[in-house]
Amino acid sequence: MFHGLSRKARDLAADLTRAPAESPHASPATVEYRPIERIVLTDDVSRTLFEEYSAHRAGQRGDEEMGWVLLGLRQSDQAVALATLPASSDRDAGEAHVWISGIAQVLASRIVRQDDRRLTMLGVVHTHPGSLRHPSHGDLKGDREWIKQLRGGEGVFGIGTADAETDKEATPTGTNPKPHMQCLGALRFSWYALAEGDGQYRETPISLTLGPDLARPLRAVWREIEHHAERLERLARQQAKVMFEIVQGHEGPALNATVPLAEPDHALRVAIEGKEVRYYYEAGGDVFQADLPDASPDQGIYLLLAELAGRK
Amino acid sequence: MDFRPLTETERRTLTTALRGNSDRGLALLMDRKDTSFAGTAEEVPDEEVINAIKSVPCHY
Repeated sequence: MFHGLSRKARDLAADLTRAPAESPHASPATVEYRPIERIVLTDDVSRTLFEEYSAHRAGQRGDEEMGWVLLGLRQSDQAVALATLPASSDRDAGEAHVWISGIAQVLASRIVRQDDRRLTMLGVVHTHPGSLRHPSHGDLKGDREWIKQLRGGEGVFGIGTADAETDKEATPTGTNPKPHMQCLGALRFSWYALAEGDGQYRETPISLTLGPDLARPLRAVWREIEHHAERLERLARQQAKVMFEIVQGHEGPALNATVPLAEPDHALRVAIEGKEVRYYYEAGGDVFQADLPDASPDQGIYLLLAELAGRK
Repeated sequence: MDFRPLTETERRTLTTALRGNSDRGLALLMDRKDTSFAGTAEEVPDEEVINAIKSVPCHY
C-alpha cells in the first residue's frame, strides 16, 4: 500500500511539473518583426497631414520644409500610424532642411501615450518644396543610423510634395497613382521604409483604415505645449503619476497637468490657457484656487507641495 | 492597500490589456510588490520613444 501511495505521489508531482500542453495562449506573445510590407494610415492621420501641409503652404513659411513625427503600432510586417506630431512653430527649417522634433514633441508623445502605451515611434514625414518625391541623400545619411533604435530596426518615411496633377473641375478626392503614393488636390505624399543595413529606401504600399489621429486634440493647446514643454516634461519625469488632459478653460481649450497627492481624491492641478497659468488644490470634492503670480508650472506645483508638506 | 476606483485612463489601459490577453495571449504584467496591474508585454517604455524623438536627424 505504501508503494502504491508513493507511486501516486510521484505521478502527481510529475503532473505538476510537466510542461503545459501547447495552446495558442501558452506563452506571452511577442512580436517577431519582419520587413515592413505595408504602411496603414488612419483616415484622421491622413487628413491631418494633407490639411496641415496645405495650411503650411499657405502660411508665411510656406516655402520652407515642414515635418511631422509619426507614432503608431509596429506590427509584424506593417506599421499602423495613429498619431502625428507637427514640428514646432519655431522650428529650424528652410527650403532645404527641417528639424522636426524637440521638447514639444517629447511632451506631446507623453500625453498621447497616456491612453495607449503600445504607441511607438514609427518614423517621420517631411516635405520638399520642389518635386523630389524621394528622401534625399542627406536624409539617408541620418536615417540609416537613426532607425537602428526603432522597433524592428526599421522606420517609416513620408515625403510631401506639391506636384500632383489636379482636375480643377472635379470634386477633390484622394487618389493613389502608385501603391506608395497618396494624392489630394495638388498635394502628394510618397511613402517609404528603411531598414537597418538597407542601402536605399523601399517604396512601401499604403492603405487607409478608419481610425483617429490620437494627437489631433493636442492641436487645440499646441501653443501651450510648445511654451511650457521644457518645464512640464521635467515635472512629468520627476513626478511619476502626472496626468495631462485637454479641457475647456475659461475662454477656450486649456492644458491641465494633475499631480495626485498621497491622500485619495487629493491632487494639485495646473491649468494652462494661453498665457494664463492657474493652480488648484483639490481635496475630496472641494477645489481651492491658489494664487501664485509669475510662477512657472513646475515651480508652482512644487511651491504648493512644500506648502502642503508644512501643514502636516 | 489603495482601493480607490480606477481613473478613466487606467480603466481604458486595463481593458485594452485584458482584451489583448484574451484575443492574442499577450502577457499581463504584475507589480511584484503589491500584485497590482503593471501593464502588458506589448507596452513601449517612455524612454524608448523619447530617445527616438530627441534623436530624429535633420531632414533635407
